[in-house]
Amino acid sequence: MGIGRSRLETTGTAFHTEFVVAVGIAVLAAVLTVASPRAGAAEGALSQLDQQCLACHSAEGLEKKLDNGEKLSMHVDGAAFEKSVHNKIGCPVCHANTSFENHPPVKTKISSVREYSLSQNKVCESCHAPILKLYESSIHAALLRSGNAYAPICTDCHSPHAVMAKAAYDKASGTPCSKCHDPIFKAYASSVHGNAGLDCSNCHRAHEVTAATAGDQLKDACLACHQGALDSHKTWLPNAGRHFDAVSCPACHSPKAKRRVDLRLYDNAAQQRVAEKKGVPQFESRIRLVDSKGSGLDAMALHSLLTGFNRDGTDNRTTLRGRLEVSDGVDAHRLVRSKGAIQDCAKCHRQGADPFQSVTVSIVGPDGRPVRYGAKPEVLNSMISVDSVGGFYAIGGTRIKLLDWLLALAVLGGIGVPLGHLTINWLVKRYAKRIGGKEDS
Amino acid sequence: MPRIYVHPLPVRIWHWINALGFVAMIVTGFQIRYIGLIDLMSFRTAVVLHDWIGFVLIGNFFIWLLFYLFSDKIKVYHPELSPMKHFRQSFRQALYYGYGIFKGEPNPHHVSVYQKFNPMQSMSYQVIMLLLVPLQFWTGVLLWDVKRFSGMIDALGGVRVVDTAHVLIFIFFSGFIFIHVYLATLGHTRMAHIKSMFTGYEDIDEEHPAGR
Repeated sequence: MGIGRSRLETTGTAFHTEFVVAVGIAVLAAVLTVASPRAGAAEGALSQLDQQCLACHSAEGLEKKLDNGEKLSMHVDGAAFEKSVHNKIGCPVCHANTSFENHPPVKTKISSVREYSLSQNKVCESCHAPILKLYESSIHAALLRSGNAYAPICTDCHSPHAVMAKAAYDKASGTPCSKCHDPIFKAYASSVHGNAGLDCSNCHRAHEVTAATAGDQLKDACLACHQGALDSHKTWLPNAGRHFDAVSCPACHSPKAKRRVDLRLYDNAAQQRVAEKKGVPQFESRIRLVDSKGSGLDAMALHSLLTGFNRDGTDNRTTLRGRLEVSDGVDAHRLVRSKGAIQDCAKCHRQGADPFQSVTVSIVGPDGRPVRYGAKPEVLNSMISVDSVGGFYAIGGTRIKLLDWLLALAVLGGIGVPLGHLTINWLVKRYAKRIGGKEDS
Repeated sequence: MPRIYVHPLPVRIWHWINALGFVAMIVTGFQIRYIGLIDLMSFRTAVVLHDWIGFVLIGNFFIWLLFYLFSDKIKVYHPELSPMKHFRQSFRQALYYGYGIFKGEPNPHHVSVYQKFNPMQSMSYQVIMLLLVPLQFWTGVLLWDVKRFSGMIDALGGVRVVDTAHVLIFIFFSGFIFIHVYLATLGHTRMAHIKSMFTGYEDIDEEHPAGR
């Protein structure tokens, strides 16, 4: 398609390409003759340059039809832009790649609206490098790197032409988070935190959002506000420190949630969870080796899996660390006041307790999210697990069945031996009398 | 019947505190492990009692240990260094409990101040007092505060390993306590040994005055 056939349209009205080119060149000529983007602009008012841009771009419905059929909106709300923090820098700082030669019509091919957003997203770094650095550590960035073009980028949360300081989040609707996490937001909105008017970012942070079950960020977030939590738990909860390590907060504080045990592959030498190496997926292939039927790992398969990870002279550095957590992200946000939290130890510390009926084994995936595989609940009660699941144990709930039998045998033996001895003694006396012998002992 | 003083006061104090404590530990241990199956008290109450009584027993253990360390009575725990002799004597003792006692034969072991244990007791109590009881206390303390002792627990293979060791010894004591009580009734009267653990004096066979 030649430049002359480029399609720049406003709703219902087609512009002649030549006219558009002429306007564009005129505007850009003005742009490039201005020494400073802010030259001539009063504080808070739009610069002459920006006004020139908006002469066209404030037109409602201004959009560009792309080759793939999508329409890229070219409309900028002038009033909103004037109020936005980006008013201070003006149009050319972000659209510096726009020049006489390519505007308008645009010579550069834009394959999709998303592709354009992704390309423009890089511009943000020129001013917001520290924030971008935080973002790069996030699950959102990891998803983007892994090839998910629809993973959240700057402009998904911050409307670039109407961006206001600290105003990206709307408490009432939960946007922008709820755009992707709506069920979670709804659960959260009715929770104790939602009612208290907290934002998603109070726990998850705005830019360095990590996978919920990776690392200690969320637990740290809880404890950052609830600083006395450990001490207050110690007043009634035996082994409170251990509970804090092995049980996620929502597992008790979201009392109706479905829970599970996640057995995490842990590198003892590095003191962190085992992560998949990029390009060398080992978890899935090792799982296939030990569970070819795909029916879930039993105790032997789990043991073999661990042996596999420790095979290459790693000196048993890989172990399993269990964590009792909520199975569902939505449930994890249905937090209640502490009075409503689970305080009955028997909920977990009895045989057959719900949390131990669902077991997964996990590794940290390349995008930072856990990759999980199901295991059979028996792995928590098997004698074989003394070795492989050494790092997780809940008294009563995950007790080893073989030891129950041993205990029964010991008690029966302890009672049976004296009873047998007494019986023999009684029989001996009785028969000794009957055959005329003397009564001894 | 002549009698000799074989159970000094510190030993008797230790013994009865230990006896009551072990019964309480076994009961609360059952409750902790089998909540739902046994409901004598809440799980938390059982854990708290188990912890506190455990610490009392650890303190009590040192009454026993210090008494014997600073007394010549420690000889009662001296092992028989000749394995053949020890085996022969143990076999005789086992034969007595398994056969001779029914025929009214005399107990082959004759109590004395420095030999109050028969060979089977001697071996058992060496293992129990110097291995199993300290091991049970140690694993118990580790499990009392898993977070505080996480380094040691991890070095031992994890909390499940430590708990399994604790439970195995618990299983042993749960069976042993019945046998122990029963054997205590096999004196010249049913209550003879039990009374001696209150008074300190053990009746001895007149034919074997060496016991004095």
